[in-house]
Amino acid sequence: MNRTIVALLGTALAAFALPAAAHHSFAGWDMTQNIEFKGVVETLKFRNPHMAMTLTTTKPDGTKETINFTEGAPANMLVRMGLDPAVIAPGQEITVIGAPRKDDPNPNQYFLKAIVLKDGTRFQSVGP
Amino acid sequence: MTIGFWRLGALTVAIAVPGFAFSQAARPAQSGHPDFSGIYFPALGPGMRSQTPTQLPYNDAAKKLVADYQKSFTVDDDPGRYCIWPGMPRAIWGAPFSVEIQQRPQDLSIYWEGYGMYRKIYMADHNPPKQLVPSAMGHSVGHWEGDTLVVETDNLKPYPYMTRMATSSAAHVVERLHLEERTAANGQPAKYLVDELVVTDPKVYTEPIKIKATLQLRPDLSLIEYTCTDTLWDEYLTQRGLTLPDLDELPGGAKE
Repeated sequence: MNRTIVALLGTALAAFALPAAAHHSFAGWDMTQNIEFKGVVETLKFRNPHMAMTLTTTKPDGTKETINFTEGAPANMLVRMGLDPAVIAPGQEITVIGAPRKDDPNPNQYFLKAIVLKDGTRFQSVGP
Repeated sequence: MTIGFWRLGALTVAIAVPGFAFSQAARPAQSGHPDFSGIYFPALGPGMRSQTPTQLPYNDAAKKLVADYQKSFTVDDDPGRYCIWPGMPRAIWGAPFSVEIQQRPQDLSIYWEGYGMYRKIYMADHNPPKQLVPSAMGHSVGHWEGDTLVVETDNLKPYPYMTRMATSSAAHVVERLHLEERTAANGQPAKYLVDELVVTDPKVYTEPIKIKATLQLRPDLSLIEYTCTDTLWDEYLTQRGLTLPDLDELPGGAKE
């Protein structure tokens, strides 16, 4: 697993704490973290109220590991960014930026914050 | 190249705003009143949205409910994950999805892409129907005061989520909606629909809550289907050990 804490953003989540922000809360995720994963898309669900993805990564010893991005931006947001099923599909090599859970940073569950394609195009759904 | 969408700190939505023509610009309807019809997107930034008081003014009984709720419910126990409509008055804040308004002399129909929420505002001078059951959007009846549409909403079903803006069935909402033209972030003139809303709910709050929300007219946008229950259905199928057939694996069609 290529796991690198890229930066601590220090971005407050107060915006999502607005009582009537109308969408559901992402307060369970530690959005201050940007953890980078490089791998191959295994499964991809373009869905609302949030997308989901599994990514197969290769550890330094050559063994494979599946990373679970159990939550991300809603599919409609992604499509408006230009990230649709024609751009990304299972089998594709990508880099994903994720945030772990606050209550347990190591349950292999991450919030998908950004996707970077091989050509460098970056789709940032949440965070800077 | 970075394609940004949703920045938490400033909660900015970075959809490019092209220099579109106002093909859907609000025009006087035949009745002489403004026409709110068009596709909008929630406007963010200074002056676009507010809530007064900023802290919800729970009464003592509601404060106890909040405390009990926070002991029992976690951040994952969120109605939004289960596709529960925010409903009124919460809907007007707007998640970052399109909103379409269609106006007729007898009513306005508002469709929120997010959660597929749908609302009718019936005009008082066109014999509005009675509402049969309480609902998330309630029963809304409007009338014009000049160029301002005044809407009263009641018959709301309870929204008992104490980490949100909870409301009881006693909630009553009065809105004043009007159009404004301002300069958008891209320097171009843009039309905005401003909704100034007052919520009263004596069962929960000690004083009225004033909310302001703003939608920007965005005829360059369209609505995208927002189905919300696929994940819930998948979870059910997994619990039952069922797998749906993959019809796309069948021969024929464009793939052959």
